[in-house]
Amino acid sequence: MTITWRAVALTALGLLPVLLVPASGVVLAWALLVVVACVLDVSLAASPRQVAIQRSVPTSVRLTEGSRSTLVVTNRSPRRLRALVRDAWQPSAGAVANRHEVDLPPGEARRLVTSLVPTRRGDRHADRVTVRSFGPLRLAARQVSLEVPGRLRVLPEFASRRHLPSRLARLRELDGRTAVQVRGSGTEFDSLREYVIGDDVRSIDWRATARRSEVVVRTWRPERDRRVMIVLDTSRTSAARIGDLPRIDASMEAALLLSALAARAGDRVDLVAYDRRVRAQVAGTGGPRLLPALADALAPLEPTLVEADWSGAVSAIRQRLSQRALVVLLTSLEPAAVESGLLPVIGPLAHDHTVVLASVADPELATLRAGRESSSAVFDAAAAERVELERAAVGVRLRQRGVEVVDALPDDLAPRLADTYLALKAAGRL
Amino acid sequence: MSQLLAPPPPTQPSQAAAATRVTSSAAPVVVGDGTTGASRARSRWRRARWPLAVLGLIVVVGSLAAVLQPRTSEVPLAPDNPAGGGARAAAEILGDQGVEVTMVRTSAEALRRAAAGTTLVVTSTFLLDDGQVEALSESEADVVLLDPDWWVLDAVTDGAMDLGWLGTETVRAAECDDPAAQAAGQVRSGGSGVVAVDPAVVVCFPTDEPGTGAYAVLDDGDRRVTVLDDASITTNDRLTEDGNAALVLHTLGRHEQLTWWVPTYGDTSEATTGPAAGELLPAWAGPVAAQLALVVVVLMLWRSRALGRVVTEPLPVTVRAAEATLGRARLYRRSRSRGHAAAALRAGTARRLAARVGLPRTAGAPAVIDALTRATGRSREQVAGLLYGPPPTDDAGLLQLARQLDELESEVHRT
Repeated sequence: MTITWRAVALTALGLLPVLLVPASGVVLAWALLVVVACVLDVSLAASPRQVAIQRSVPTSVRLTEGSRSTLVVTNRSPRRLRALVRDAWQPSAGAVANRHEVDLPPGEARRLVTSLVPTRRGDRHADRVTVRSFGPLRLAARQVSLEVPGRLRVLPEFASRRHLPSRLARLRELDGRTAVQVRGSGTEFDSLREYVIGDDVRSIDWRATARRSEVVVRTWRPERDRRVMIVLDTSRTSAARIGDLPRIDASMEAALLLSALAARAGDRVDLVAYDRRVRAQVAGTGGPRLLPALADALAPLEPTLVEADWSGAVSAIRQRLSQRALVVLLTSLEPAAVESGLLPVIGPLAHDHTVVLASVADPELATLRAGRESSSAVFDAAAAERVELERAAVGVRLRQRGVEVVDALPDDLAPRLADTYLALKAAGRL
Repeated sequence: MSQLLAPPPPTQPSQAAAATRVTSSAAPVVVGDGTTGASRARSRWRRARWPLAVLGLIVVVGSLAAVLQPRTSEVPLAPDNPAGGGARAAAEILGDQGVEVTMVRTSAEALRRAAAGTTLVVTSTFLLDDGQVEALSESEADVVLLDPDWWVLDAVTDGAMDLGWLGTETVRAAECDDPAAQAAGQVRSGGSGVVAVDPAVVVCFPTDEPGTGAYAVLDDGDRRVTVLDDASITTNDRLTEDGNAALVLHTLGRHEQLTWWVPTYGDTSEATTGPAAGELLPAWAGPVAAQLALVVVVLMLWRSRALGRVVTEPLPVTVRAAEATLGRARLYRRSRSRGHAAAALRAGTARRLAARVGLPRTAGAPAVIDALTRATGRSREQVAGLLYGPPPTDDAGLLQLARQLDELESEVHRT
């Protein structure tokens, strides 16, 4: 039971009779009147426990896009339901106007829509639905909070999809559809066609030309049906915040862009999220279902505060790969973490597969490095410089073991990784 | 040809489809929270019973303690003080003999009770102000003063008595006609003695000085003023000595009503003058205040119930990635290791410049110095001093080095 502002106003109204007849008996009598009125009002209110509530909510929505949670409220009590309904969600679900006034005759239903604008990736859960059912005088109300489960999966924003058209255009260039012919050592033979002026004479197939009356050239296309294994590091280094978002979010953007690109290029994309065990994986999904599957697998991932187990990760990778593949490690170039965990096990992996390590760099480091205002700023700059040197040294050691290193700022990582992929593809190194 | 002919859309349509997909109507319908009025009452009782039991126990134990434990104080000469310096023994005996002993702490209360035919005992007088002493002197009750100050004695007896100069603690015999003193026989007194100025004053237990005694009575017909120069005679410790008990009980037990006034600091005669705070307010103020208090209580009830609980957010760990770097910078700063800082700055500059002029990563210091000398046109010593010179000795030197390195860096362009 709860009371409303009207009960307060009714009590305050008691000042009039008290002023007219200043006696403590009047105060008592008025208090009794207020209590009786409230109790009567509550006893006439519709029971909030006889309200049927059904929630429908979209399964998933992309970050920054709006969504709606719908409650169908049915009044099953024989009384008229005058109620205030609160559809509570986690703060990051972005349910702002979540209080709804309801006035329902017996047996009728109403649809209450709460708009959600999620501010964080991951699974956003609905909290309880609170129904406050007022009496006919609206002096007092009965209240109950009900568990009406609801979950909205907020997918990664995939802001890097704006880089996709330009990278697809580059892919088509590789594909031989444009006038520029790419002849790499590893590209595979596609078909024969008639020579047109402008073609590289070195690509004339003399044997085929001899069999036919016209000059025939070979066309090439990039390899297809190669495997791309994306390994997303969810260990402690991925929890560090860069700008406003943790490192893992920038890694996800890169993973999504690379997957979209590789799927278009006809490669098979697998994904494993790993710290000390497999947190999420997507395997054997191709075509248009790949990206939704990836986004769905990535959405609920949160960084865990454990050290990555790279030898376990490498054996998990090997288990999933039978042929030579492109292994993309989305982690960070943290000197200590890389030296103790990754370096000892990366050599054999890089021998069997093409390994790319993509790391999110911190723009704050560059800002710190440029500090010259005071001696303390110079100390900061020196520390940043030392970190940069160590990162560079670790990068060199990784490259010595045959690993491609992509170290880029959060916004640049996805396109840079896509470019690296295209370069590897053009060079036939997949 | 390949399958990549169709220009792909920039976004993924399948994701957009997923965003608008709504779960089917198989979502469960929730009605109520599975409780009934009885089950809610039961669970409330289960939740509240232990706190209620503890609260009840505290109340019972507290009230029992209050009932069983007689009220005592530690005020000297108070009738409820059972310690050595108190006077509870005398008060209890008087009570047993049918004298109604009332302890008061304020002059107003004491003087209100001190009607004719009662006894008023004042345990000490140095806390009294002029108004109180004047009121005391006008009291119609029999007054017993224990170890009074001379000016109080002077005022109450109208100059009939005065204090002696000094007394020696000796056992003295009554040597007077007063029945109380006669009953006591002899007492041991260490007070300064009371001097009879007026011949009507009866002085008992005389000292060596003429007209001076430990006990003096002035009876002017209407009322009787009795003075004991040594208050300790009434204490629990000494009540059983000599004739103390007889003297005290006779003196205090003359009437059925005994008011035992133990003066306090806070009490003044001014406090009793003027109307009380409540009397200044109009009659309707009380009920209106009560009504306003009621409104406040109802207001609190209204605001106290929230519409559902507060929802918390499981927050992710958000440590800035640069925290470790800043921590290292603080370490440099605290240990004043300008050498390390300068070495880092120099190594960074050397690495970038070497890459810019096209030197391999493995190039040694002489090669870097040679290349940079050619690229900048500076002297060899200058470049070597900047990049490989001694570490700076103070913060200003470090700052200067950092700026000079920046300058050097700005002079080298990609070849």
